[in-house]
Amino acid sequence: MLLTLPAVGLVVVALLLPLIYLLCTAVRDPELRATLPRTAAMLRAWDGQGLPDEAVFAALVEEAREAAEGQRIGGLAQRLNFERTGMRGLLLRAAESEVAAPYAMGLPALDRNWADPAVWHVLRRASVGVTPLYLLRAVDLDMTAEGDVAVMAERPFLPLLSRTLWIAGMVTLLCLVIGFPVAMSIAAMPPMWARVALGCVLVPFWISIIVRTTAWFVLLQREGPVNSVLMALGLVDHPLQIMFTRFAVYLAMVHVLLPFAVLPMLSVMRRIDRRFARAAASLGAPAWRRFVRVTLPLAWPGVRAGGLIVFMLASGFYITPALMGGGGDQMLGAFIAEYATASLNWGMAAALGLMLMAGVAAVTLAGLGLARLALGRAA
Amino acid sequence: MRFGFAAIVLVLLAAPLLAVLPISVTSGTVLSLHLPGVSLRWYGEFFESSRWMLAACNSFIIGCSTSVLATALGFMAAWGMWRAAPSRLLSGVLNLPLVVPSVITGLAMYFAAAAAGLTGGYTGIVLAHTVLAIPYVVLTLLAALRRFDAGLLRAAASLGADWRVSLRRVVVPSLGPAVAAAMLFAFAISFDELIVALFLAGPGQYTLPRQMLAGISDILTPTICAAAVVVSLVSVLAMGLASALLRKAG
Amino acid sequence: MRYRSLLAGVAIVAGLALPAMARELTVVGFGGGFQDNARKHLFQGYATATGTKVVDDVYNGEVARIAAMVKAKDIGWDVVMVEAPELVRGCQDGLFERMDWSVVHKDKFVPGGTTTCGAGAVGWGVALFWDEARTPVGPKNYTELFDVAKFPGKRVLRSGAKMTLEIALMADGVAPGEVYAALATKAGQDRAFAKLDTVKPTVIWWKSGAQPLQLVGSGEAAYAVGYVGRTANAAKDGAKYPLLWNTLLYSFDFWTVVKGAPNATEGMKLIEYMTDAGPLRALAGDWAVSPATKAVADDPTIKAKNPGMVANHAGEGLSIDTDFWVQYGDDLEKRFAAWAAR
Repeated sequence: MLLTLPAVGLVVVALLLPLIYLLCTAVRDPELRATLPRTAAMLRAWDGQGLPDEAVFAALVEEAREAAEGQRIGGLAQRLNFERTGMRGLLLRAAESEVAAPYAMGLPALDRNWADPAVWHVLRRASVGVTPLYLLRAVDLDMTAEGDVAVMAERPFLPLLSRTLWIAGMVTLLCLVIGFPVAMSIAAMPPMWARVALGCVLVPFWISIIVRTTAWFVLLQREGPVNSVLMALGLVDHPLQIMFTRFAVYLAMVHVLLPFAVLPMLSVMRRIDRRFARAAASLGAPAWRRFVRVTLPLAWPGVRAGGLIVFMLASGFYITPALMGGGGDQMLGAFIAEYATASLNWGMAAALGLMLMAGVAAVTLAGLGLARLALGRAA
Repeated sequence: MRFGFAAIVLVLLAAPLLAVLPISVTSGTVLSLHLPGVSLRWYGEFFESSRWMLAACNSFIIGCSTSVLATALGFMAAWGMWRAAPSRLLSGVLNLPLVVPSVITGLAMYFAAAAAGLTGGYTGIVLAHTVLAIPYVVLTLLAALRRFDAGLLRAAASLGADWRVSLRRVVVPSLGPAVAAAMLFAFAISFDELIVALFLAGPGQYTLPRQMLAGISDILTPTICAAAVVVSLVSVLAMGLASALLRKAG
Repeated sequence: MRYRSLLAGVAIVAGLALPAMARELTVVGFGGGFQDNARKHLFQGYATATGTKVVDDVYNGEVARIAAMVKAKDIGWDVVMVEAPELVRGCQDGLFERMDWSVVHKDKFVPGGTTTCGAGAVGWGVALFWDEARTPVGPKNYTELFDVAKFPGKRVLRSGAKMTLEIALMADGVAPGEVYAALATKAGQDRAFAKLDTVKPTVIWWKSGAQPLQLVGSGEAAYAVGYVGRTANAAKDGAKYPLLWNTLLYSFDFWTVVKGAPNATEGMKLIEYMTDAGPLRALAGDWAVSPATKAVADDPTIKAKNPGMVANHAGEGLSIDTDFWVQYGDDLEKRFAAWAAR
């Protein structure tokens, strides 16, 4: 048992703890406290009535100037602008202005938004160090100036989540429906042929996903071979638009993920005693009945494992949809990666990541429950 | 005819990959099967580009390190699990990398690496790939261990062999091929991994898949197809070797 | 066995303990033909002149990638080419070093060719083109480009608010001179997005400058708005791409040094070299470049030799407003991303 500890320890340190840290990142709010520490302390002490007093104004201007001079105000400007449009310019203009004391008069003269209590409430909330903002935004909710929860006018993320789960679900279904007969056939093949077939399943398994996507990119072009064949056969009279459609996304994803569905099903099917099916046949059961009552329940562990793996992988996919799909085919993963590595809005990336995990878990449990129910009824 | 559907699907699985072959020898600059002529210029571009060579180098360094580390840890874990059935919690943790969507894994590891100061070095990405490879290594080795006769070890001990001798004479001959296969699997997983590399690799640690993504999304010349052919050959060779070894292991 | 474990040890140590190696001076641009020629005349010219090795890389102008490096304190690039609004914002955000004007001579640039963190590099533009071999008659302006009934097929536009919103407003009949005044209002922004809605199903969005040429060149799309330098070059290589200067949108790119770059000092010297008249004249011999260096930009022989210079067509096109995009870029890009993903 001790021998398992190094591996388990590494997984805990390098994956489990980071996942927990991810959870914290979704609610952490460090920018204001790090960039304007004195102002943050004063804002926490402020009662939130009307406008703060001169000392807070002065601290804000002085600290913002220092931060701008040291070129480290960008993170805070971005964080504030994320909550309220216009805060970036407001803060940067204050930092770069020549405003002199009394600042409580000077700042509003520079930009009258500084006399708006809502601006100061945004600052006060950002001084706490913990925020529900990212989680709210991930489910298309917002916080009003008074701190109440409101519904966003634009609702980008929940539709994106449902699209992601829908695409992943469709891909899973397709992989199982296509993969099941393939696995059955391979299990029934003589060993020599089975080995060749398994090789065919495994070869794409080890070829980089980018290579496979590039190949589809080439094949599916308007003037590519697929369209040429369709035209030559007279099936269509003008080239079809295949690239940058949902169909291309499904095709490429099923191609990439099919081996993950076939392999677990195959390993279970190889162990199925074929006499069960023959016995059912000899008792006069029709083919569909044999399938539903005998083959499927016996192969179920493999189907479940294959389906789970495919669904899990598909829900985290985003490179293939980004390269093969149109704007309306993008998946949540793309936005998570964009927020994490491009916009550098880690809170939002973490919040969306949590939402994706919750969505995947919910759909998985629901799917397994439904399948069990259906199998139970059939049997 | 019984296997007709399976045959069609299997051909469809493997055949599309051949589409990159002709483009890798095009003399034009556009990724299209209407070749204006044939030339090896894109292979030249691939082998002469410092970016691609750095990426190949990185992929091998990271792949080899991952392979050794994951197999060492995975072997110990598999041995331990074979000796005493593990608790559900332990095996659950070991299989965690399989059930977390890759984008989440990448994101979590990215935050952790940034907090630990491990972004933009080999350490972070090797550890990350090791975590991803461990479940596969453990599965491969556990399957081999289940066929391994523990009585052999007792027999060796009763004949007076110390642990070093029984390791060399008993364990290595019967488990060696499986261990080698596990190493190759771990290598292949690292060699092909894109998402975590996308999060963790700085420009100095670009791996081949990462560079290929840049190739198809930023640069977009047929070099990507030449690279695809070379990289696929390496992967398929590694895979073929691994399955040959496994077959030898029985 | 001992040999093998030694090997394994070496492999692990190599992987885990290799320190970030001292990196070569790395300069990053937008790729394409300009960079191929800049490599020859500017990067390698500097390498030959000083004996410092220079390597180059390509990006799509995502300053965020630089921000990620600065945040992670792993600076993989030294000198980068950036677009003007990104330069100004990145300078405020601490992504770029302030220019060292004691190394780079400030007085050699055209007016507006210097900012706190950047030195003017070259002018660039985007314009409408299509493949006359496939489509003999194409749209003559943006209004026609947005006429889906008259011009069927896919059109390729840049995936982002900048340039795309201007094009949408011009397509909707706004005069070039009034585009930015309109875009500064909520009504004007709504109008631009509404106009984009009318073509959305027929648009393929590009992120890298190579994509418009790939998509039009392979017949995937019928029309594209792409970088004029690359389009002109493809036309020189035999492609039948007309360049419509009346659809030109242009701006200047700047050279800057990434904050905390290990080769920052060397980078400043490289920028001084790359903006000098000599190397730029040599470059202009191979590529229709519009440098921000006065002596070359105003040289009548170079202007006559390179009809495709953006500077020669400034009067026909729309100058991309840096100040506008500094102020509104964040919000409009966010809105665009949400709109495009719908």
